[in-house]
Amino acid sequence: MSNNEKKTPAQQQYDKLNQKHELKRPVLKNCLRAFFVGGLICTIGQAITYFYIYFFDFTEQTAGNPTVATVVFLAMLLTGFGIYDHLGQYAGAGSAVPVSGFGNAVVSAAIEHRTEGFVLGVGGNMFKLAGSVILFGVFSAFVIALFKTILMQWGGL
Amino acid sequence: MRAVIYLLTAVLLAGCGFQKEREDSRLALLKTTNPEPIQIERDGISVEKIREEVEAINEIYDAAVIKGDHNVLVAYKVRHLNRFQMKKIEKSLKERLDKEYDDETFVVSSDYKIFLEAVRLREDMDAGKTNEKEADKRLHEIIRLKREKT
Repeated sequence: MSNNEKKTPAQQQYDKLNQKHELKRPVLKNCLRAFFVGGLICTIGQAITYFYIYFFDFTEQTAGNPTVATVVFLAMLLTGFGIYDHLGQYAGAGSAVPVSGFGNAVVSAAIEHRTEGFVLGVGGNMFKLAGSVILFGVFSAFVIALFKTILMQWGGL
Repeated sequence: MRAVIYLLTAVLLAGCGFQKEREDSRLALLKTTNPEPIQIERDGISVEKIREEVEAINEIYDAAVIKGDHNVLVAYKVRHLNRFQMKKIEKSLKERLDKEYDDETFVVSSDYKIFLEAVRLREDMDAGKTNEKEADKRLHEIIRLKREKT
């Protein structure tokens, strides 16, 4: 509270009043909700992985790609129907951290900016949040691949 | 909301609908199956012995062994807490088998899909649906699947 020194007595009194009436953040409850909803999303993802392993020619190693695509697709549908908003409000990080949060970030931005047109609205804003994630993923993969290639050329790996 | 719940339930229950004759393989990824090893090619080493040897390793709890014309496939499950060392276990098992049976080519995998396919092959052979020639062909397909990266 270093700002307190600069504040006038009236401001300090207001802060006290504010603190008295401020609602406490239910951190534990939020964490539990995030844990269970995030866990549920991951369980559904695991079920989808097993589905691909059982019924298609995917191994444990290769089933990851279609699983991610399916989960993102489901999250996009849920966002479009307006269900994911409620889930996000209830579970917070539990719905944002799994890969389904990525689908939600893309589609919700696209829906939000639809009124501004397809190119400048949807196209320009769709990847505002998800774009940085994609860029970071692609760039770091490139750097790691570069290092690995150099090391392999030297015979280190 | 209801439509989404129906869709998810349909996806989750899809596995219960068909393939009634395959009792073991249906739950092969969830419980210990202990499938009988398959010896397509009779010459050489005994698959039973390999299976015993693989199952004696602490980190491994369920093993399927198939011996074909050119390769011996060893598929196994790793205990959950040891799954962090999966690559290490695979490497040491392969080295050990290669050293012990130097005239055989071993394909070693801890992938669930490979294990599942080995169980399915065993069941098809037991049911008389697959003869030895077809089994060898299926073994090659399983090995190709194991090597696939994408």
